Amino acid sequence: MRTRNLTFSVSGLLAATLVAGCGGGVPGSSNSDAGEVYGRLKGLARTEQRARAEELAGEEGKTLSLYTSMTADIATPTAEAFEKKYGIRVSVFRGNSETVLQRTLQEQEAGRPGADVVETNFAEMVILAGKGHLADYNGSGLDKVEAAGKFDHWTATRFNVFQPAWNTTKIKPGDEPTSWEDLALPKYRGKITVEVSDSDWFENVTKYWLEHGKSQAEVDSLWKAIAANSKVAKGHTTMMQFLTAGQTSMEAMNYTYITSRAAEDGAPVTHLPASGVSTIPAFARPNGVGMIKGAQHPAAAWLFCDWLLTDGQKTLVDLGLTPSTKVPGDNSVAGLTLVPFDVEGLSKDDSVWDKKYDALLRGADTVGR
Amino acid sequence: MALASTATAPRGGDHETPGPGPSPEPTAPGRLLALLRRLLSFQGLLVGGAVVIVGYLALVPLGYLVHDTFLNSTGTGVSLGAFSRAYGGNSQAGSMMLNSLGFALGSAALALVLGTVLAYVQVRTDTPFKGLFFAASLVPLIVPGILYATSWIFLGDPSSGVINTLVFKPLFGTAPVNIFSVWGMIWVQGLHLAPVTFLLMVAAFRAMDPSLEESAAMSGARRSTVLRRITVPLLRPAMISASLLMFVQSLESFEVPGLLGLQNGIYVFTSRIYFVLRAYPIDYGAAGALAIGLLLIAAAGVLLSGWLQRSSRNFQTVTGKAFRPRPVDLGRARPWVGAGVIVYFLVTVVLPVAVLVYASLLKYYAAPSRKTLGSMSLENYSEVLHMPLAFTALKNSLIVGVGAATAVMLLTSVVSWVVLRTKAPGRRVLDLVAFTPIVIPGLVLGLALSFVYLRMPLPIYGTLLILLVSYCTRYLPYGMRYSSSAMAQMSPELEESAAVSGASWFQTFRRVLLPLMSSGILAGWVYILVVSFRELSSTILLYSPGKEVLSVLIWEQFENGQFTTLAALGVCMVLILVLLVSIAYRLGARFGLQGDSSN
Repeated sequence: MRTRNLTFSVSGLLAATLVAGCGGGVPGSSNSDAGEVYGRLKGLARTEQRARAEELAGEEGKTLSLYTSMTADIATPTAEAFEKKYGIRVSVFRGNSETVLQRTLQEQEAGRPGADVVETNFAEMVILAGKGHLADYNGSGLDKVEAAGKFDHWTATRFNVFQPAWNTTKIKPGDEPTSWEDLALPKYRGKITVEVSDSDWFENVTKYWLEHGKSQAEVDSLWKAIAANSKVAKGHTTMMQFLTAGQTSMEAMNYTYITSRAAEDGAPVTHLPASGVSTIPAFARPNGVGMIKGAQHPAAAWLFCDWLLTDGQKTLVDLGLTPSTKVPGDNSVAGLTLVPFDVEGLSKDDSVWDKKYDALLRGADTVGR
Repeated sequence: MALASTATAPRGGDHETPGPGPSPEPTAPGRLLALLRRLLSFQGLLVGGAVVIVGYLALVPLGYLVHDTFLNSTGTGVSLGAFSRAYGGNSQAGSMMLNSLGFALGSAALALVLGTVLAYVQVRTDTPFKGLFFAASLVPLIVPGILYATSWIFLGDPSSGVINTLVFKPLFGTAPVNIFSVWGMIWVQGLHLAPVTFLLMVAAFRAMDPSLEESAAMSGARRSTVLRRITVPLLRPAMISASLLMFVQSLESFEVPGLLGLQNGIYVFTSRIYFVLRAYPIDYGAAGALAIGLLLIAAAGVLLSGWLQRSSRNFQTVTGKAFRPRPVDLGRARPWVGAGVIVYFLVTVVLPVAVLVYASLLKYYAAPSRKTLGSMSLENYSEVLHMPLAFTALKNSLIVGVGAATAVMLLTSVVSWVVLRTKAPGRRVLDLVAFTPIVIPGLVLGLALSFVYLRMPLPIYGTLLILLVSYCTRYLPYGMRYSSSAMAQMSPELEESAAVSGASWFQTFRRVLLPLMSSGILAGWVYILVVSFRELSSTILLYSPGKEVLSVLIWEQFENGQFTTLAALGVCMVLILVLLVSIAYRLGARFGLQGDSSN
């Protein structure tokens, strides 16, 4: 008898906690008024837009749903800064860029958008825009963004800059690489780590080499030598962990903000030679923001886009990121030789470069070159 | 082999049909009515409901996978193009499969041997340090795979690993340990999995009547002969279940191959799936084709294990006769076994956890030196405690973990009864279907669930319930193995005597079967609770803001590059779960006792 009582009370308790713990947060069906709100804001004079959006955001209930691939230590302070400015409560979904894309696509295709605004990597933004899920922002936030940061239906907010990174106790001054070609040098044999999914870096360097006088055969043999020098790792932050620990000596490519952040913690890592000036072409991959069509809170989405391209840029700089506009006090690209990121080559809707890079790392013959 | 001596039921359990007690044989229309009545009975509803739920849980992601794999890109016809994309061209499918099989077989064998030996020593001998087993059986399960593998990299790196630099270099002048090899992968994976075998085998040893061994010993068999001819054969169902689980889990795990294998180009199925899912546009077909390759191997495993267990009566040692497992006197071997226990404990628990504790006290990881030792602080722990979401996430993880563990074990104990005790048509298929979620990649599971529940008017998507559904699906195969190996040890004569004494089916199930299976069910429950705390691959797609679980927090720290904060979080998790599981064991022990006495 006691067993039965126990069983029933336990299952009752379970059911109760589940019901209590699980409510709320369900994305509703697509908001048919969103298009009208976006249209109305778009039609206003630029000077009136912001005030009107604020007013409408108040009517929407002062909440915003943001989907982003910013890491938590960036996303949380960014959301807080926005909340502070407009009093709009931000709920943040964080995932890696593929997850943000998959989730947004799933929800859009089911007609139940959960996000009002999306902030993620270049490739994923291109796909979202290409599928017609993003609404246009035309506010004054665009003014400071350079032409290279303006895309169809979305706008760049920050850049991830590609550079090698090394442990200064393992790679002594004078031994650092001074060009991407240097990664193929025999002296780095066994010392380099490459990331398993960096096909966009692979594409940019290849394109750069081909445009700067190298033949396809030369490029191929350089990559073969680099691959022979390298070990493969997964995840840029994991790699940095092993680099700071001196487990590895050098990374063919990591994002400069990851290296800088580790260096700020006191780890013996850097992406700049002792002189403070790097001659290695630095590709800057844009990350961007876009407003979701059919969003529950379109005016708040508009305000967030606007803010992230204006006041928010300063917040990003304070967090050590590279902004998409000129911000006083930003020295995240100091000492770097910036070159354009190959937007066009990587906007194509195919996975040719992923496959080529994958084959290179596996040492397999590449097809369809 | 006279192993079935105790299982002398008047009619074998295999011949029983799912009927509630004896009913007179009616005429044809009456039979139809009786069937209807039977289906509508409490038992019928319960059993039918469990079967339907299990089938539904397993078939949703499988259907999604198969749909994407066999439908061509235009969505109009069936095609096998996905398979040629996945296995053809320059995919190096042959070496990938060999690596996968070698890695999975090696890890399964290592885990099986370690787990079984440990379980035997724990349950059946008078070894010293029994308390250590508890930690040794849990800690490797609790520590997130990514931390466990990372700890081993810091320990076993060929050039800078602590084991090489502090032990082998000074003593022998060589550095033979290389964690970045197939052997290193097998080592880490095997150690990480050994607790699963241990949990399963402890339950099996507990449910085993030692009188069989004693009679063999009395008849003059040596100890090794008893072990070889009595003990091991009696444990066959549990060992087969364990090997199957270990094997398939190693096939589908990604953390170890991802962190250790990629370095030297050792690719397995899951690293290929990762690549395919990473590229855009995602070739779901090719990912599905790879997953179906895994599925075929796993299905072969399930069929093989079913065939090996075909004469199930041979293993039924829980019968109407009372027994009390008595520990074997180790005699002179006792100190040696004790030393072995200590070594195992050091290697699987102390070393990796020490690396974690050490890392959790630093600002960034560096090899031990005077400078790093001087800079240690508890800062990371205060950071963990001040994480705004830490307590919400812990609460949510507990709700979903306890919910999933309970639901899965209840469902699978009913379903394993159907599979093992009835002649219901399609019961083998049911067993197989319940096993399929083990090979569905987490991301595909997440996509399948969001696809279904976004289109359902029920409040499931965007709530914790979807995580519950996801975890129930993912851990269904594990629950099935734990339940069915417990069920397989039980003789049907117990049910029969209950039925003869007038107990209804439900009474029998609840008051005879469940209590007797309790140690197996509890083991499964503990396993699911613990691993659900780490589940990330589907969680990351399905969680909602404000409804974070612990694994999401771990992932965030990892993405932030805060390995040392993550280590602190890992240490906290180990503490919390060890506490939780010891409470569960206390409660479970009491529950089991009550069940026994109420018979």
